[in-house]
Amino acid sequence: MQNLDEILQEAQASISTLADMAALDQYRVLYLGKKGKLTEFLKTLGKLPLEERPLAGQKINTVKEAIQVLIDQRSHELKKILADRQAASEAIDVTLPGRGQSFGSLHPITLTCLHLKKIFTRMGFMFRDGPEIEDDYHNFTALNVGPNHPARAMQDTFYLESSDKLLRTQMSPVQIRTMLDTTVDLPLRMVAIGRVYRRDFDLTHTPMFHQMECLMVDKGLSFTHLKGLMKQFLSEFFEADVSMRFRPSYFPFTEPSAEVDMKCLNCSGQGCRICKNTGWLEVLGCGMVHPKVLQYVKIDSSIYRGFACGVGIDRLTLLKYGISDLRSLFENDLRFLKQF
Amino acid sequence: MKFSELWLREWVNPKLSREALSDTLTMAGLEVDELTLDGEDYKFDVAITPNRGDCLSIQGIARDIAAITKTSLIPLAIHPVPPAIQDTLPIKISSPSACPRYAGRIIRNINSEAVTPPWLAERLRLSDIKSISPVVDVTNYVMLELGQPMHAFDLNTIHEGIEVRNAGRDSKEKIKLLDESEKTLDADTLIIADHQKPLAIAGIMGGLESSVTLKTKDIFLESAYFSADNIVRQRRLYGLNSESCYRFERGVDPELQVTALERATQLILEISGGQAGPITEVVNALPKSEPISLSSKQITAVLGIEIPEAETQSILNSLGFTTQPQSDGWIVNVPSYRFDMAYSEDLIEEVARLYGYDNIPVQHLKAELAVHQPSDVHIDTQILRECFSHQGYHEIVTYSFVSKPLQTLLDPDHIPQALHNPMTAEMAVMRTNMWPGLVSTLISNQSRQQHRVWLFEIGACFVDPNNTDQPFYKLGGIASNLAFPEQWGLPSRKIDFFDIKNHLENSFKLIHIYDEISFKAENHPALHPGQAAAIYHKEQKIGIIGALHPTLLQTLDLSSPVFVFEIDLNTLPIQLIGSLKPLSKFPEIRRDLAILVDQAIPSKVIQDTIKNCVGGWLKDVFIFDVYQGKGVASGLKSVAMALILQHPTRTLVDDEINGLIDEVVATLKRTVGAELRS
Repeated sequence: MQNLDEILQEAQASISTLADMAALDQYRVLYLGKKGKLTEFLKTLGKLPLEERPLAGQKINTVKEAIQVLIDQRSHELKKILADRQAASEAIDVTLPGRGQSFGSLHPITLTCLHLKKIFTRMGFMFRDGPEIEDDYHNFTALNVGPNHPARAMQDTFYLESSDKLLRTQMSPVQIRTMLDTTVDLPLRMVAIGRVYRRDFDLTHTPMFHQMECLMVDKGLSFTHLKGLMKQFLSEFFEADVSMRFRPSYFPFTEPSAEVDMKCLNCSGQGCRICKNTGWLEVLGCGMVHPKVLQYVKIDSSIYRGFACGVGIDRLTLLKYGISDLRSLFENDLRFLKQF
Repeated sequence: MKFSELWLREWVNPKLSREALSDTLTMAGLEVDELTLDGEDYKFDVAITPNRGDCLSIQGIARDIAAITKTSLIPLAIHPVPPAIQDTLPIKISSPSACPRYAGRIIRNINSEAVTPPWLAERLRLSDIKSISPVVDVTNYVMLELGQPMHAFDLNTIHEGIEVRNAGRDSKEKIKLLDESEKTLDADTLIIADHQKPLAIAGIMGGLESSVTLKTKDIFLESAYFSADNIVRQRRLYGLNSESCYRFERGVDPELQVTALERATQLILEISGGQAGPITEVVNALPKSEPISLSSKQITAVLGIEIPEAETQSILNSLGFTTQPQSDGWIVNVPSYRFDMAYSEDLIEEVARLYGYDNIPVQHLKAELAVHQPSDVHIDTQILRECFSHQGYHEIVTYSFVSKPLQTLLDPDHIPQALHNPMTAEMAVMRTNMWPGLVSTLISNQSRQQHRVWLFEIGACFVDPNNTDQPFYKLGGIASNLAFPEQWGLPSRKIDFFDIKNHLENSFKLIHIYDEISFKAENHPALHPGQAAAIYHKEQKIGIIGALHPTLLQTLDLSSPVFVFEIDLNTLPIQLIGSLKPLSKFPEIRRDLAILVDQAIPSKVIQDTIKNCVGGWLKDVFIFDVYQGKGVASGLKSVAMALILQHPTRTLVDDEINGLIDEVVATLKRTVGAELRS
């Protein structure tokens, strides 16, 4: 029979040859099982004189523990090897595209409108809506555009066939309706965003386009405040410190009136294709609300003053995203839309 | 207004380069659109706003430049031409309000061989006016120079005298105009006539017969003031346009007529010779500009800065406005050519304009924090937009006016409102639903080899002509071709009704109304009769979904499948917060059930039957298989469902569960004739 040292050596030598959990179990049974080598050895303890038994028992236990350690270690190693092998067999090509549905997109005009809404919501403006089919009063008369005003050129306005209603040519009628709305109090700050219609179709004009108009009516408003608001708005929208210039202009419903240019962000005002080499981009029109308009909506112009501004959203969209052709906003080519 | 730089600089010559002058003009409200070299001269193209009719002449622009640049105006010396003959024409004004001032004179024996001098023709050319003949050219020249439109008649075509009257005194007078068109004149049209017939439509265009030709020896020269209202009406009515009516519409100086007439006479005599008669003038009540009261306080309030009174006064005076001091400001009188000045705000704009808009500082607004003011944009569509975008739809924006045939095909039950003056025939009616734009965009994208087209759009639809005050918003969608983009790892299949239904269900879940939504089979003329449904929220119809009718697919040359849907946003009750159901701590039990039932029985009926039978302990019942085919008798279908049972306050025991299932099976058999599938 082997002695303890021989058994231990044999166990140590053979542990690393065990290739799987089954072999490891066999090994365990061989050495530590009910009929295993160490158990057999334990049985021989009875033949020893009493005083030699504790020491011998200790020796056997030491070996038993050592072999158990070997088994545990090898078990740990084997598990790791098996796990690695499993993982390797489950390996995939991570460069293949993801599977499933693809997202759609929001239209760039919607994105611009969202941005505008965010800016003006932050400043406490309320949003108002109005009909797209309007009447002459709200679209012209109340805006100080008399019946023979040049702004009424028949060729610019769409009229309905069966009535004398028209498609609104700007968002200003919504301002009028708001000011006439008895549930709305002064002071007032509002924004109206929507579709407007003018009978014009060429490289830079579409018969339907989107406009935002804002209006403030309060005591103590002045031209300096209008400038301040325009500067804040443009800087927020273009996310840059915008240089702007105000040019005198004319709108029937404001006086003084101004057109606002901003320094072309593309070339920093040096002149480029985008700004037609002028260094400036025309972005919006604004002015102090004309006393005649306030009269129509029954606001006392000796107490309150108002200012308003109007901006073409489609044009802002072109500028913001660097789109060169206005018509692409309405062609809805998927190759274009998918880029947003 | 286009004009020669050299000509302008004869009137005012500030020490500015032409580029600097161009910038100055633009920054003062006379926007220079173009400045181009033309021959030996430069051509300015200035956009004059409708309120500055006074700037539609060299004199007008020069005056403004003089004020803006603080340079002196070099006025043109115009001397009255003493009459060489005594011939006159009697002039009668029958419509004094439409023609408050009419001046005219005869010039006889002009040299019909005379030729317009090159310098004059050149100036006309730079203003985009063709040179025709000396007399006509002079009238155009003086119009450009001073701003007074004039007209010359061949004297020998005028019978007895001039009458400025409304047409249609005799029935249906006609006139053949210079542009060779013939117009039938209505009773309110102001015409220049002799004692027999119309000679011209006043202020707009002269007649052909009475016009000055190369044979003309004697002329009658007209210089008048016509009221803008009439001119506008006439221009629109007859579809005419001319440099003359352009100016009358925007305003002509009511004091200019005689001066202009003298100037024109002088030029004609110089160029063509002849003898001029005396000027005949008929004057009635002319428009008068009222003095305007302007207070310094108001200027400060409106502009937001204090401009020294001396500076304000200097600005006003430089514009030719007289200022009479009063307490806090002035009484301002404006010259006759500034008919755009009526309110103190108009004066304030002039002050700001010349002070320089960019010299007015920027100031931050101070306002009360808004306690929420009523926004009436009640539909927050953003959540729905994102929902459809994330489910694979691309948002589009299409024109609200669509083609009538297409709209009628897609919504025959509503008559669309037609436009009186549409842009094109494809944009002739206002849409009644969102499908025309979606279908057209589908077609245009497919023609560009984009086959899998999924689109949505939110916009206003125009259904009820009697109630256009409330915009009627709809969300429309279209989906075609494959359910998923073509890719590895996913077998390709075409979309079907239930893919689209899922998208809609998801959107209803997002706004917490899904529990009250039902889809009911309902025909729509544009949809496939077997695959069309109306969407109801409780009892109200809020939308439609379905496959396009096969006939429509054929007509539009589309290949199936194409699905469309639409949701009415005005009636959609969007809820941002749903109502929370408490969770039970007790286990859920799942029991599966497979039944055989008549294929015509809608699945909803089966599910509702089960719900009604089990009551509160049924947490959910869902269908996981619907099968027809081998193993199932024809006319029947197999429906496999999972029932999830749960008691709120204890664990359910097997006996109870089995009893429930038995009851369900029995009820199904009784109500819909379903048999358990073995």
